[in-house]
Amino acid sequence: MSENINLVSAGASIAGRNKRYIVWFYLLNLVFAHFGASAFNDQARAILDHSLYADKLLHGFNAGVFLELLARPEFGAFPAATHPAMMFAVVFFLASLLFMPGVLLGYASDHGLPRDEFFRACGRNLWRFVRLFVFFTIVAGSIAGILFGALNAAVAAADKTSNERLPFLIQVVGTVIIFLVLTVIRICFDLAQTDAVLEDQTAVRKSIAAGFRKTRRHLGRLLASYMVIAIMALAVLAAGILLWHAIVPPSSVLGAFIIGQATLLLLLATRFWQRATAVAFYIKEMAEPMAEEVRPSPPLTAPAVP
Amino acid sequence: MCVRLRFGICLLVTSLAVPVLAQSGSAVSLGIPATTSAINSPTPLSQRVVAYDMDAKYNAQAHTLDASETLTYHNRTGQAQDTFPFHLYLNAFQPTSTWMREGKRWNSYGPNLEKWDPESYGAEEIKSFEVVGQGDFTSQLRYIQPDDDNKDDRTVVQVRLAQPIPPDGYVQFKIRFHDQFPETLARTGWNRDFVLGGQWFPKVGVWWHGAWNCHQFHYDTEFFADFGVYDVKLTVPQYEVVGASGIEVGSLNNSDGSKTVTYHGEDIHDFAWTASPHYLIYNDTFQGSMGPVKLRFMMQPAHWSQAERHARITKEAMERFDRWYGPYPYKALTVVDPDPGSEAGGMEYPTFITSESSWIMPKGWLWLEDTLVHEFGHQYWYGMVATNEFEDAWMDEGINQYTQIKIMNSIFGASTSLLNMWGLTAGQVDEARLGYEGVADLDPIAKNGWQYADPRSYGGVTYFKTALSLLTLEGIVGEDTMRRATHAYFLRYRFTHPTKEDFLKTIEEVSGRDLRSYFNQVIYGTQVLDYEVLNISCVPVDWYKENLNEKNGVTEYTCDVWIRRKGDFVIPVEVEIKFDNGDKVREHWDGQERWVRYAYQKKTKIESVEVDPDHKLYFDRNNFNNSRTAEANLAPARKLTNYWTCISQFVAQCLTWWLV
Repeated sequence: MSENINLVSAGASIAGRNKRYIVWFYLLNLVFAHFGASAFNDQARAILDHSLYADKLLHGFNAGVFLELLARPEFGAFPAATHPAMMFAVVFFLASLLFMPGVLLGYASDHGLPRDEFFRACGRNLWRFVRLFVFFTIVAGSIAGILFGALNAAVAAADKTSNERLPFLIQVVGTVIIFLVLTVIRICFDLAQTDAVLEDQTAVRKSIAAGFRKTRRHLGRLLASYMVIAIMALAVLAAGILLWHAIVPPSSVLGAFIIGQATLLLLLATRFWQRATAVAFYIKEMAEPMAEEVRPSPPLTAPAVP
Repeated sequence: MCVRLRFGICLLVTSLAVPVLAQSGSAVSLGIPATTSAINSPTPLSQRVVAYDMDAKYNAQAHTLDASETLTYHNRTGQAQDTFPFHLYLNAFQPTSTWMREGKRWNSYGPNLEKWDPESYGAEEIKSFEVVGQGDFTSQLRYIQPDDDNKDDRTVVQVRLAQPIPPDGYVQFKIRFHDQFPETLARTGWNRDFVLGGQWFPKVGVWWHGAWNCHQFHYDTEFFADFGVYDVKLTVPQYEVVGASGIEVGSLNNSDGSKTVTYHGEDIHDFAWTASPHYLIYNDTFQGSMGPVKLRFMMQPAHWSQAERHARITKEAMERFDRWYGPYPYKALTVVDPDPGSEAGGMEYPTFITSESSWIMPKGWLWLEDTLVHEFGHQYWYGMVATNEFEDAWMDEGINQYTQIKIMNSIFGASTSLLNMWGLTAGQVDEARLGYEGVADLDPIAKNGWQYADPRSYGGVTYFKTALSLLTLEGIVGEDTMRRATHAYFLRYRFTHPTKEDFLKTIEEVSGRDLRSYFNQVIYGTQVLDYEVLNISCVPVDWYKENLNEKNGVTEYTCDVWIRRKGDFVIPVEVEIKFDNGDKVREHWDGQERWVRYAYQKKTKIESVEVDPDHKLYFDRNNFNNSRTAEANLAPARKLTNYWTCISQFVAQCLTWWLV
């Protein structure tokens, strides 16, 4: 248990020392989301800016009026408003794929990583990360497909009983199990990415093998650490929603913005915390075999003289 | 023992209370019972045309039913009748029926009917058909299709008698039939070990306006039948808990492991029943103005905690209906919480309704209340005011939706009468507007139910446009007048089959106003109402002067306001112009022209203009353009954009969380 706490706190320490990465990624996401929402903003403004009926959305949130707004022909097709946001979400994902090697190298470094080293790591590992992403998609996609298929079958079977709660309970339990399995796979690939960056490993299959090997050996410890942080992320999300609901007046755009962004920043931080934990674990793992190597070797005996 | 005694007394009362005897074409003496044991009235409430006496045995394993039906029909048509049509509704659930073809056409049941599932099969087969005194007519039954040319549709069967039944005469039919219930479709059938027996017996058509009215079962239509007396014996396995229309008058355990439960109903025009081994019963009583009403809530075990919620809203609805529109005269009301996952929720039969619940039902989500108020309302608009649901669906669904909105708003508040949780709100009117806006100009309200463009139009127009147009009418004649008119309509036409003009003329009569222009557009037409504040302009009178220093209260402006009628619906409207100094001006526009301009010269500028400032025009298609402010208020759009930005960021972070 104390080992888990050490790992989690080591991760927190690394992520805390490198807060700038979280802030940069957060700002990047905010800017992308801002661009993504501009079409929605334009369409909404055209209808709402001069209408007294818009008060029903400002002083409270009338779901009926909101749906009425979306249904207006002059609002335009809903996909026209939503697609840009989705596209920018993909752009943020690609940016994360590009810059994550620099972050991992920064986390492994005991000093502030110079900018040129950061970008060099990004460039050097880009193709490796793309390949790792493809492997992850294949592995996680296949396993998730099988598990979700099984879950759906179980829910359908439970649906035939007269116990109304059973399908829901199976759905919840099944989803938690799938979440745990996917988290394990994510841990493997987090370690594989760390291995690729820190070992400058050109053959990603070796990194994946290393990731799986380390995960298998220390599954309990790694999974517990990741879950502790994931639970904290859920707590952050719940607290953010509760705060939003409790203290932000319906008409306060600024209040909603501050609470919303603070919640998103903290949520992003929890994921970086997980990555930092993986790096801390990896460094510790690399250090241990080295300690074995410096153990005193048995005394050499003098060669026998013929 | 107590139940048996009650059963015996009821049989005695029933046998003694047959005062009307008449002669049919044969020598058999027939009549319709004039009993009043199921109603809080010393005399019958309706002109009883039919008396159904049925003995049915349900096979819970096969979901089949075998029954004998004795139907006594009183010929009140004013002329001799030798032809009688009967509904066989369960035959709608066959692959080539009209109901199924229409359902496939609209793909409304989605995946449920993508591939024919034998469990969807329903059937109603007449084994024998005897006309008392005239012999067996089984071989002379003919399927007819009065609405379309679908020869495969078997939902209406017709018999031609050898001897006509004279005016005011009686005829008795003895029918043996076999039912196959489908896995719940259109709120009838079985689901797991639950069954809802709706439209399960051969039911004679209605002689209406000089002709038989007996339509095929359509995808979008409901039912129409005459008032009468029902005596029904249901034999089911002993483990079943049973509920039905009317009042229970007996229950006997049989030696073969079954039991026979007997029901009696008066002044009703249909009979439905349900059985499931899982029901838990919650009893309550409502004290109505005509006497006590026994309320029986048949709850799913997982919903037991909601039994009180069911009872509370039912009694609140009954109290308001009693006070506003008229009394509920029956001695019982059965509220069924159907099997979860079945398509049996939200249905009405006389003295018998189904709710729509779930084991998780937050207090702020008022779907349960919405459904119960709606289905109870049908006891008035369908149950007692028995309009033709095939041809005038709006008169039961639409008027009922209107009274539902009034009642839900009075209990939960207009803006929160559908949803009120987590800062999200929605009212009944919001729901109605959403349902109506997309289909506003597709179909008129007055249209046969099966001839609407599609089910969306049927729902949007019959339910929602009707309700919104009656709310708007309230704004024209006044809320109190509208309530008196609805009350008068109910009292005048309960236990009859009124037409659309009966309803409209009652409103005109009570309000003392000629409302034809409104009715012609809203009921018989497809005109769309849409007023718009087209533009606002304020220009200083001394605009040409150099170095003009504009100052509120000093500088004089000429201000113009343009109001436009975008739609083709013409109705007078109020316009409110609000000035920067707080002054307000109200204008009345008859709406005849396409647009109107109002001009003012004041030492202040216009702040805002609003069409229909009292919000009386409920079916204006676009409420956003009903007002215009001179200055833009960016806050509403910013608020929504902020929400949207947060959601986008969250999605992006989740995507990246898992994939990188």
